[in-house]
Amino acid sequence: MIGGRRPLAGRKLADRRVRVERPHAPFFRYTGPGQLVAREAASMPTTPAGRFAARLKKIAIGRPLASEEEIGERLSKKKALAIFSSDAISSSAYATEEILRVLVLAGAGALLVSIEISIAIAVLLAVVALSYRQVCRAFPNGGGAYAVARSELSPLLGLIAAAALLIDYVMTVAVSTSSAVDQLISIAPALNALRIEFAIDSITLITIANLRGLRESGNIFAVPTYMFVGLALVIVASGVFHIITGQATPLPRQPEAVSFGTETLGVFLLLKAFASGSVALTGTEAIANGVPAFKPPEARNAANTLTVMAVLLGVLFVGVTVVAHAYDIVPSRDGSGGPTVIALVAGTAFGSGPLFYVFQLATALILFLAANTSFNAFPRLAAILAEDGYMPRPFGFRGDRLAYSWGIIALAAIAAALLVYFGGITTLLIPLYSVGVFVCFTLSQLGMVRHWLRLRESGWAWRTAINASGAILTAVVLVVVASVKFTSGAYLVVILIPMQVAVFLFIRRQYEASREKLTVRGDFVVKPPHREERVVIPIPTINRAVVQAVNVARSISDDVRAVFISDDPDAAAELRERWERQVPGVPLVVVESPYRALVGPMTAYLDVLDRAWPPDKEAPITFVVIPEYVARNWWERILYNQVARRLRTALLGRPHTVVVNVPYRREEATTPEPEGPGP
Amino acid sequence: MPNPEQTVVFRRAVVALNGGSSDARIVRLAAGVARQWKAELVAVHVVEIDWTQPLDADIAGRSEDVQRVLDLAEETAEDCQYKIEPVLLQARDVGAALVDEATEQRADMLILGLPYRKRFGGDFAIGSTIPYVLKNAPCAVWVVREPIPEESA
Repeated sequence: MIGGRRPLAGRKLADRRVRVERPHAPFFRYTGPGQLVAREAASMPTTPAGRFAARLKKIAIGRPLASEEEIGERLSKKKALAIFSSDAISSSAYATEEILRVLVLAGAGALLVSIEISIAIAVLLAVVALSYRQVCRAFPNGGGAYAVARSELSPLLGLIAAAALLIDYVMTVAVSTSSAVDQLISIAPALNALRIEFAIDSITLITIANLRGLRESGNIFAVPTYMFVGLALVIVASGVFHIITGQATPLPRQPEAVSFGTETLGVFLLLKAFASGSVALTGTEAIANGVPAFKPPEARNAANTLTVMAVLLGVLFVGVTVVAHAYDIVPSRDGSGGPTVIALVAGTAFGSGPLFYVFQLATALILFLAANTSFNAFPRLAAILAEDGYMPRPFGFRGDRLAYSWGIIALAAIAAALLVYFGGITTLLIPLYSVGVFVCFTLSQLGMVRHWLRLRESGWAWRTAINASGAILTAVVLVVVASVKFTSGAYLVVILIPMQVAVFLFIRRQYEASREKLTVRGDFVVKPPHREERVVIPIPTINRAVVQAVNVARSISDDVRAVFISDDPDAAAELRERWERQVPGVPLVVVESPYRALVGPMTAYLDVLDRAWPPDKEAPITFVVIPEYVARNWWERILYNQVARRLRTALLGRPHTVVVNVPYRREEATTPEPEGPGP
Repeated sequence: MPNPEQTVVFRRAVVALNGGSSDARIVRLAAGVARQWKAELVAVHVVEIDWTQPLDADIAGRSEDVQRVLDLAEETAEDCQYKIEPVLLQARDVGAALVDEATEQRADMLILGLPYRKRFGGDFAIGSTIPYVLKNAPCAVWVVREPIPEESA
């Protein structure tokens, strides 16, 4: 009877029918001959503890998503500007402060140079943006520095770019989060005491949101990004109006303001201020990396969006610097909880009215979103590296919510560790930031120069000129940034990049070596086994689990023997008597172990068996069949199978040896009558 | 929102599947109509067992092709964001099994597809199942005829 059901009666006697049960249906779906697709229920844990953990996970990160549920949303220019520019535009919230922080060392007069430095950085931004417009057109599938450098220069330079990018993404999270917390502290100074806790909580929230599969939803990004841009433009316009009309008067110094230094304003200090301010360029490459996400024509839309972003960033950055200078704004001391430069600049336009608070909140939000940009980019790059064999494979697996969980968690952990280490102080993190960014810029531009020279498409000459000038300029800035910030933290990046590349190469070599060893030639036809087989069953006594193991062993080979290791000769004799009576046909070898060891004598016995094998014959396959009692609860796992576990570990990797675990469940009934409890 | 003045088409419908090209069409159609009234759908596929074998012979359960008919129906319904309950039957006569199942399921609609066969000059092979169902079903019967392909029209 199918499914154990009786035939159902019909209207007539002959019209009976049988309902056929479909046991596969809850778990699988047939999609073709011999092809099944697993359903959600197939991935569900079967134990109560597993189900409980799955329920908790579902509450935290949501229900698992099928691969086909991935949303392939194409972005309009307005949405893309909000999504990809939050990282770059948000840096205008702290770049001016970083310049001023260096210049104050040379006294109040040195602050005047901040405008020239910001203009120089804006020119650099224009060159980089112009260069990246070329990347958008040449790499419509996404021209991250890794992709460009790898395909156009060499795999090694690609890896250097990848290492620099990964560092850049980690730094973006750390710097943006700490700066966002700074903005909140500007409106609620009491938060200063909880600076690190607040930053870590923020990273945790972003991590959970990304593990849930937070898509780059334009609406989430659009509101704070456009609010920040709109209000910042109002602040700059108001400041410029006040300057023109002569209403811009110096603000009184806040109590937390840094003291002016007495250093000479020399080349080194200028370069250092330039290097600190060049943090404004971080995130410029994001649009070039995400070209495929744009609506068609992708490359043109991406290039135009990049231009708008660069113009906005340039205007905001230079504008904020000009206004800050006009009002004689001086940054607050590190970790003092004083207002940020952007907050003081905002105060010149909005006073302490509600718009000031709205702007500070928008600034904090755009900075959090900038951190979130890295949560999209880092795991993807790590996944690409994993696919190319340079990172552990789990980085390439997508979790329940289609997110690269390993990448997300790794990024959060490293960024959080950095924040804790540097006390959540933005200025201390900045020196580590720019080096990686400029390594990427330089390699990417160099790759583009090679690209144009190789393809010689129409307009290659002027395109080459643009990218070459970008490469030279960013390379010069890289040297400047790395040298002037070397002692204040950039050395870490200079050490980390080659270390990371070495790790990439090591992982790749490992994977290649294992692949070489595991490869089956295309012309190789698998023949029946030619080695002889023998089975050894280590037994603790005679019980149901052992009987089941003997049955399994007999199904593998005729050459079966049981081995009993004991330190008690009387117990051994008793067992032998029972064994010969109850398990005839399977010889029992008793190994007396006066030193009470179990695993050692067992492996030694297997070695002896190997040595005793005729040397003219090919070594046999030895199956070690281990009877195991399946524990029902966690505490049962402590009580049982400890020796089996140790034996399994000891035999792992032994040549020509296969370990077979034969689990015995309490519910299972075996043929012979049992003799007492489990092992 | 359904028009309150409109008559409820059905509350529970049996959708008869034969593994042919019209299956997906009638499932989509049924799901579209059922959604308006939150009606229940039951997909029924009947495997005909000839008299040389016992009625409960293990045939339908072992056949991937048979299982796929209902799996595809479930998948099509899910694509339409609707739920369909699959039922697999073995019987001597498909028409009788469909009528009996519709009766037992208390269905107020039985939906069948009428495929267009291109072979032998092209025709609707109405067979014996549809006439039987039309004559004997206790509920309304909805026969969905496939459109005639353009090259045959």
